[in-house]
Amino acid sequence: MTEDEQRPEGRVLPRGWTRHPPERMLITPLVAGLGGLIAFFVVVFIVVWLPIHTFDPPASADWTPLSNDAVKGRNLFASNGCYVCHSGYSRPQDVRYALYFLYPKVSAPGDFYGSDQTPNLLGTERTGPDLSQESGWHPEDWQRAHFYDPRYMDPLSLMPEMKSLFSDKQVEQLITYVETRSGKSGLLRYAGQIYSKHIVTANQGFAPAPVGFQGAHGQILEGNDKILNPPKGQLEEAPNLAQIDRGYWLSGDPLPVTEGNLLRGKEVFQERCVGCHGLKGNGKGPGAKFLSPAPADFTSADDACCGGDTGPGDFYYRILRGWPGTAMENFGDRLSVNDIWRVVLFIKTIPNHTLRKNYVPQPSDYITWQPSKELLAWVKSSQKLENNVGFNKAPVTDPYMQEAMRVMPGLSTGDSFLINDGKTRLSLQDAAAGIKAIYDDLLNRAWDEARARGSKLPSETQKAIPPTVPGQQ
Amino acid sequence: MPGEAPAPLTKRADAPAPFSDQAAKHWFLSSIVWLTVVDLFGLVLATEFVTPAAFGDISWLSFSRVRPAHVNGVILAWLTMMYFAALFYMLPRLVGTRGMWSERLGVWCCWAWNVMYTLGVIGLLTGHSQGREYGEFIWPVDILLLVIWCVNIFNILATVQIRTIRPIYVSVWFFIASPIWLAVDYAIGNVIWSPGKIWSAPSGALTNSLSDAILNWWYAHNLFGLWLTPMLLALTYYIVPRVTNTPLYSYTLSLVSFWGMAFFYTGVGDHHILQSPTPAWLKTIAEVSSWMLLVPVFAFTINILGTMKGNWDKFFTNLPLRFTMTAFFFYFLVNIQGAFEALQPFNRLTHFTNFVVAHAHLALLGAFTILGMGVIDYMVAQVYQRPLFSRNLTEWQYWLVTVGFTGFFSVLTLAGFQQGFSWAQGIPEVNVLPQLHAYYIARGIFGAMIVLSGIVQAVNIGLTMFTNTAERRRRETLRVAEIVAPPVSG
Repeated sequence: MTEDEQRPEGRVLPRGWTRHPPERMLITPLVAGLGGLIAFFVVVFIVVWLPIHTFDPPASADWTPLSNDAVKGRNLFASNGCYVCHSGYSRPQDVRYALYFLYPKVSAPGDFYGSDQTPNLLGTERTGPDLSQESGWHPEDWQRAHFYDPRYMDPLSLMPEMKSLFSDKQVEQLITYVETRSGKSGLLRYAGQIYSKHIVTANQGFAPAPVGFQGAHGQILEGNDKILNPPKGQLEEAPNLAQIDRGYWLSGDPLPVTEGNLLRGKEVFQERCVGCHGLKGNGKGPGAKFLSPAPADFTSADDACCGGDTGPGDFYYRILRGWPGTAMENFGDRLSVNDIWRVVLFIKTIPNHTLRKNYVPQPSDYITWQPSKELLAWVKSSQKLENNVGFNKAPVTDPYMQEAMRVMPGLSTGDSFLINDGKTRLSLQDAAAGIKAIYDDLLNRAWDEARARGSKLPSETQKAIPPTVPGQQ
Repeated sequence: MPGEAPAPLTKRADAPAPFSDQAAKHWFLSSIVWLTVVDLFGLVLATEFVTPAAFGDISWLSFSRVRPAHVNGVILAWLTMMYFAALFYMLPRLVGTRGMWSERLGVWCCWAWNVMYTLGVIGLLTGHSQGREYGEFIWPVDILLLVIWCVNIFNILATVQIRTIRPIYVSVWFFIASPIWLAVDYAIGNVIWSPGKIWSAPSGALTNSLSDAILNWWYAHNLFGLWLTPMLLALTYYIVPRVTNTPLYSYTLSLVSFWGMAFFYTGVGDHHILQSPTPAWLKTIAEVSSWMLLVPVFAFTINILGTMKGNWDKFFTNLPLRFTMTAFFFYFLVNIQGAFEALQPFNRLTHFTNFVVAHAHLALLGAFTILGMGVIDYMVAQVYQRPLFSRNLTEWQYWLVTVGFTGFFSVLTLAGFQQGFSWAQGIPEVNVLPQLHAYYIARGIFGAMIVLSGIVQAVNIGLTMFTNTAERRRRETLRVAEIVAPPVSG
C-alpha cells in the first residue's frame, strides 16, 4: 500500500509514480542541477574571481625578469614534471629553521610578478629541496653533471637521471633557468659564481668545462701548467687561500686522531664525496669528467703533509662553505661541525690507502700537516693586516663588495696580487667590480629579452634597485 | 531423479525486460584495465623511490613523467570510468527506465574516453605536459575530455527527463549536479580559453603566477570535492540501502550532505598552499571551509550508520557491502585528517612531506578505489546475472587491498612525521632521505599488494564473464542438496 492509495482524495497516479512527501524539502532535477551550480558559483566568486581580480602585488625589489633561455628552461621544467618533487617557494618556517644555504629568504608575493612565471610552479611536495633560492649555489658544470646523473654529485640523491630526457641545448636552457630564477639576490650569487669560476680556472690553467652532456663522453680535464706564469716570490697557493677565511689557514684539527673519528670520517666521505673525488680519493669519480677545474686528488702524501692550502683548517672551510668557482658545494647545513672535522681527519689518511674495502683507518695512517716555510713566510710578509682591518666591524653595505667578500673570504681590503696566470689581478675591489659587471650584464640581458618578448615589466626604477645578500652569509 | 542432469534455468515468462547496461559494461571493463595500468605506474614510482636508477635511462619511465601519468590516470581513467559505469548502471534503476537515454552514446563515449586518456598519457610520458599539478593534460586532450564529458552530461539529463519515477533519489541529485560541477571546474581550472603553446607548457594557465596557483589548487581540490567525493556519496547511498534492503535512514540528513558539500567543498583549495605568499583572507576561508566540511561529512556518516543499524551481519557476508563500508570508514578518516591538515599549525609540520601523500592515498585509494572495487564486483554480478567466479578470489582481493593500503598509509604517515620533525630541526631534505629508505621499501611491498588486488579482481571478473557461473553454482547447490537431503525414492 503506497501513501497515495491511502489518501481520501484517491487521486490516481500512473503506476510507479509516487508523490513526494509534501512536508519535506523537494529536490527536483532543476534544483539539484541549477541550484548546485548557483551554490558553486557563489563560492567560486569569493575564492577564485575575487582573489584573481584583486590580488596583483607589485614587483618586489628582488624581482627580475627571465631571459629567453631561462623561459625555455622554465617550460622544460614544467613540461617534464620537475615540480612534483621540487617546490617553488620558501616558507617562513624554512628560514626560521636556519637552513640558510637552501632558504636564505622567505618568498614574497612580489617575487612572482609578471607574465614570465606561468604556469605556477609552487609545488606540493619536497622530495628534493625547494629550488626558489637555488641560483648561484652551484656552478654550471656541477649542474650539468647533476642533471646527467644526480648520484654523480650527491650519492644520496633520489632524483631521476636526466640524461635521456634532454638534449645538450635543452639542459643548458634548464641550467640557465635554475641559475637565474631566484631574483636579484640569486643573480648576484650566480655572478659571484661565474667570477670565481673565471679566477679558479685561469689560476690553475683549466679549459672551460664541456657544455651540455658532452662531459660524459670526454676525459677528466687537466690543468695546463704551460700557460701559467706564476708571479715570482709569491706563494703558489695564494689565490687558493684567497677563497678561505684567513682564520683557518694555519688551524689544526680540534678533534683527536682516534680510530672512531677516522672511521666516521671515512663513512661520511664514502656517503657524500665519492661522486667527484672517487672511491680511491684520487679525484676520478664518475662526475669528474664534467667539471672544470677537476676535483681534488687526496692521494698525494706531499700535499697532505705540507701543501700550502691543504691544512686541516683549509679543508674544513671548503667543506663548510664550499669553494665558489669549483663544483665543491657547501656542506655546512648537511654535516655537523664535528663530522666535517672528522672528514678532514680522514682525508689526511687517504695517501696511506685507507679507502680500501673493509679497512678501518688507524691513527698511525694519519699524516700530520705542517705549514710550509713558504706559507709561513707569505703570512708573515704579505698578509699583515693594516690597522687590524680583519677585525674591522664596520658593516659593508655595497652588495657587490659583500658578494666579493663571500667568494673571496681570504682577501683583506689591502690585498692585491696577480694570480698564477700572471696577468689577472686579484683584490676585493677587482672582484666586486667583476661581479658587478657580470651581474649587470645578466640583468640587462634578461630585461632586454623580456621587453622584446612583450612580457609584463615593472618600471625601470625597479631594475635600478641594487641586489641584497639575504640570510646569514 | 538422482544422477539425472538438472534442467537448465529458464526465464519466467513475466520477468521484466532486463536492463540494457551496455554503457555501464563498457565503462567498468575499461576502468578495470586502467586500474591495473595506473597501479603499475604507482609501482614504478615506488620502485624509483627505493632505487632511483632502477629504469636506467628510459626517458618515459622517469619519475617526473610517470607521476603525473599516475595521478591523472587514477583520477581520470580508473576512478572516473568506474564512476560513470556506476552512474550508467544505477541511474536507470533509480529513475525507472530500462537504460540510459542512449546506451549507444554511452558506449561511444567510453571508447572516446579511452582514446583521450591514452593520448594524454602518451603526451605526459614524452614530456608534453601543461605542468600544472592535476591539470597536466595538454590542451587538445583537455578539449576532448570536456566534449566527452558534456555528451555524458547530456545523456544523464536526458535520462532523468524520461524518468518514470518522479521523485529523484539522493544519489540522482549527485548524478545530476556532480558531472556539471566538474565540467565547469575542469574548464575554469585548466584555463581552456588560453591554449598558449598547446603542446607543452605554458598552456592553459593564468599569466599571473600566484593567481594561477590559487586557480590551480582550487581546481585540483575540486576534482575531489565536486566529483570524486560526491560520487562516492552517491554510490554509497545506492549500495548500502540496496544491499541491506533498508530504506535510507534520513532524507533531511542527505539534504545537509548535498548542500553542505556544494557550499563548503568549493572553497577549500587554498589550504594546499597555506604557507605560500597568497592572500591571508583566502587562507582563512580555506581553513574555515575545511572544518565546515565536517558538517556534511557527519551528516553522511550518521545517515549511513543509521541505515546500517541492524544490518552489520551483511558486512561480513556480502562482499560489495564490505568494500563499501571499508571505503566509508576510510572516507570518514580522510575528512577528519584533512580538517586537521588544513590548520596552519598542523600544516606547517606536515606540508611538503609524505604525510600529504598518505592523505591523498587515503582518499583516492582507501575510499574511492576500495569503493569502486566493491561496486564493480556488485555490478558485474548484476549485469551478467550470475555470481562472481570465485568468492575466494574476491576475499583475496579485499584483504590484499585493505591490508596493502593500511600498511601503505601507515608507512607514509610515519615517513611524513619523520620528514616534518627533521625539517623542523633544521635538517635539510637530503639528509632525511637515508632515514626514509626503509619506509620506501615497505611502501613498495604494500603497494605491490594493492597492484595484486587489482589483478585478482580483473582475473575474477574475466573468469566470471567467460564461465557460466550461474549454471555452475546451481549444479553445486544441487550436488550439496543431494548429499544433505537425498531425494526420497518413491
